[in-house]
Amino acid sequence: MQEPTRDANVEADPGLQLTDPTADQIGSADLVVGILAESDSNAIEKVCDALRRLPGPLRIAVLHDDQQQGPATANSEATQEHAFVFHVPSLLAKRDAPVTGILSVSETYQSVFSAAEKLQARGCCIIASKLEVATTPWAWRIAQPLFESQADLVLPHYARRKFEGLLNASIIAPMMRALYGKRVNNPMGPDFGVSQRLFEKMLAAKAGGNQFNSMASLTPTALCQNLQIIEVHFGSRIYPATDWSNMSSALADVLTPVFVDMERNAPCWQRTRVSVPVRVIGEPLLLDQDSTAVDTRPMLESFQLGNRELQEIWSLVLPPATLFELRKLSRLSVEQFRMPDELWVRIVYDFALAHRLRTISRDHLLRSMTPLYLGWVASYAHDLTVAGAMSPERRLEGLSLAYEAGKSYLVSRWRWPDRFNP
Amino acid sequence: MWEQVKQALVDSTARFLTRFANLLPGLAALLIALLVSAVLAWILAAIVRRVLAGLHFDERLGRWGFSSLAEWSPMKSPTRLISRSVAALVIISGFLIGIAAFDFDWTHLFVQKTFDYIPDVLAALLVLFVGNILARFLARSVLIGAVNLNLQYARFLSIGVKWIVIVLAFAMALEHLRIAPSIVELAFGILFGGIVLTLALAIGLSSKDLIAKSVERDAKKASSEPVEDPLRHL
Repeated sequence: MQEPTRDANVEADPGLQLTDPTADQIGSADLVVGILAESDSNAIEKVCDALRRLPGPLRIAVLHDDQQQGPATANSEATQEHAFVFHVPSLLAKRDAPVTGILSVSETYQSVFSAAEKLQARGCCIIASKLEVATTPWAWRIAQPLFESQADLVLPHYARRKFEGLLNASIIAPMMRALYGKRVNNPMGPDFGVSQRLFEKMLAAKAGGNQFNSMASLTPTALCQNLQIIEVHFGSRIYPATDWSNMSSALADVLTPVFVDMERNAPCWQRTRVSVPVRVIGEPLLLDQDSTAVDTRPMLESFQLGNRELQEIWSLVLPPATLFELRKLSRLSVEQFRMPDELWVRIVYDFALAHRLRTISRDHLLRSMTPLYLGWVASYAHDLTVAGAMSPERRLEGLSLAYEAGKSYLVSRWRWPDRFNP
Repeated sequence: MWEQVKQALVDSTARFLTRFANLLPGLAALLIALLVSAVLAWILAAIVRRVLAGLHFDERLGRWGFSSLAEWSPMKSPTRLISRSVAALVIISGFLIGIAAFDFDWTHLFVQKTFDYIPDVLAALLVLFVGNILARFLARSVLIGAVNLNLQYARFLSIGVKWIVIVLAFAMALEHLRIAPSIVELAFGILFGGIVLTLALAIGLSSKDLIAKSVERDAKKASSEPVEDPLRHL
């Protein structure tokens, strides 16, 4: 194995292009760890220390955006007892602005995959979120199944409170489960372990263009290619606070790649009938559920306003029966308001179909879904806060089953959008 | 004297008959041109109607946000509106060809001026069409954005934006057509300013209560303990 140079902070092109001399100078690595979460030098050093204590002769390249971090200072080469860790910040895509939108996140993921390919790594892992309680070495926990269980994709299974990760819980996870037939809890990570086979596929697919999103498309690609997926139990991640004034942008940002993938993978998911669980490693961490009351009134007001003013847009997307149900719902009081799962599922599927058919501008379409989403969140919050409420897990399992039951509706509308219009 | 009167009458009749005889080929040409163009218009209109019906043009137009076009159309069908417009264009062209057949200076001049005017008409139509699309797109953007910001006057804002763009496009189209440009300019200024003033007044008056409520809410928030929002979406 080629020895890396100690001063491996070689400048690469600012974009995603990596020059050959850089890769030659750095040599190769067994594992590439991309740290995308906002971390200071100490936090990165802690991750590296944890990685250095890993058993076996492993060479681990760490990519991060902290310019002050110098090259590795501890053990200089891999031994039978300890891994060798070295920093390669230059291989991470550099941006002038902070990485925020899903597009720039996707490009950063892509740069980690490119670096892993250049370094001929057997796998890479991406750490993009912060845990409430950092468990060491959690970077290795997500990478371990790549080496020991020959997994192609390692997904996190975060411990979550009932009102956290709502967009994932209400749309992304249950829809992926219904579409692709695997019960994955966090298909969009954002922390991932990716095998060489998968990141090479991702790089090839990205080169083909076609609106490929390196973060959002990871799980659908692995699912459609029948690659091995393993989930690892983690603690609770720190979720970003809600920016209510920007809710519709967030919704459009997240759902766009999901619906684009849905269109691309239509031949794959139309074959799937039932869902099966994926292998899970580790023990679930139980959290104290938040008892803070949720004020659902503003969300309901938004739903009612949307129902009043966006009818002309919704009527282009939703069938008359759904519109009728929504009108009935909008007349209910705050205490009585409940959005049935079946209705919500049909709405999501109809919006996915309208996205595919480009019924109206895609941006308008997804933004006009915001009041409906807030209506679902209000209904979910009511369900979990009333006396004798069911557990969040049971509530979300019911929603997932509704997504699975509604799949025949989606398939029919997808195949015959003009003819099948209930 | 009677001889002279008789001669003058005969000369005048001969001149009239000669002129009329000269006019007849042109008249016949006009009639033939109109007849041919009517037949051609009927065939073209039928083809256009059939093609648009095959493309489900009426439904698509509704999806693209031009549902109001159906209200202006004969039998509420934009397909019919377009096919009839095509037919009218062909008949007008036939009429112009027929008129040009008369060997008079003024007919030549008329046809020439009409043809010179066609690019302006086309440009005005294009401006109207693009203005309409833009108005609808912006109106929809404003409506969705305002609803997502929970603004009760979302619809009013959206309509205001739509009419501002339509009025602007209409004024530009009239400018292209060179129809009373100074009056159009003045009228546009008054109308545009009026719309903006109306919007400003309406929003200002309707938001008076909202601002009061908002200030009240902020005051309440400041006096009470801050409550953390437990909802996390992303």
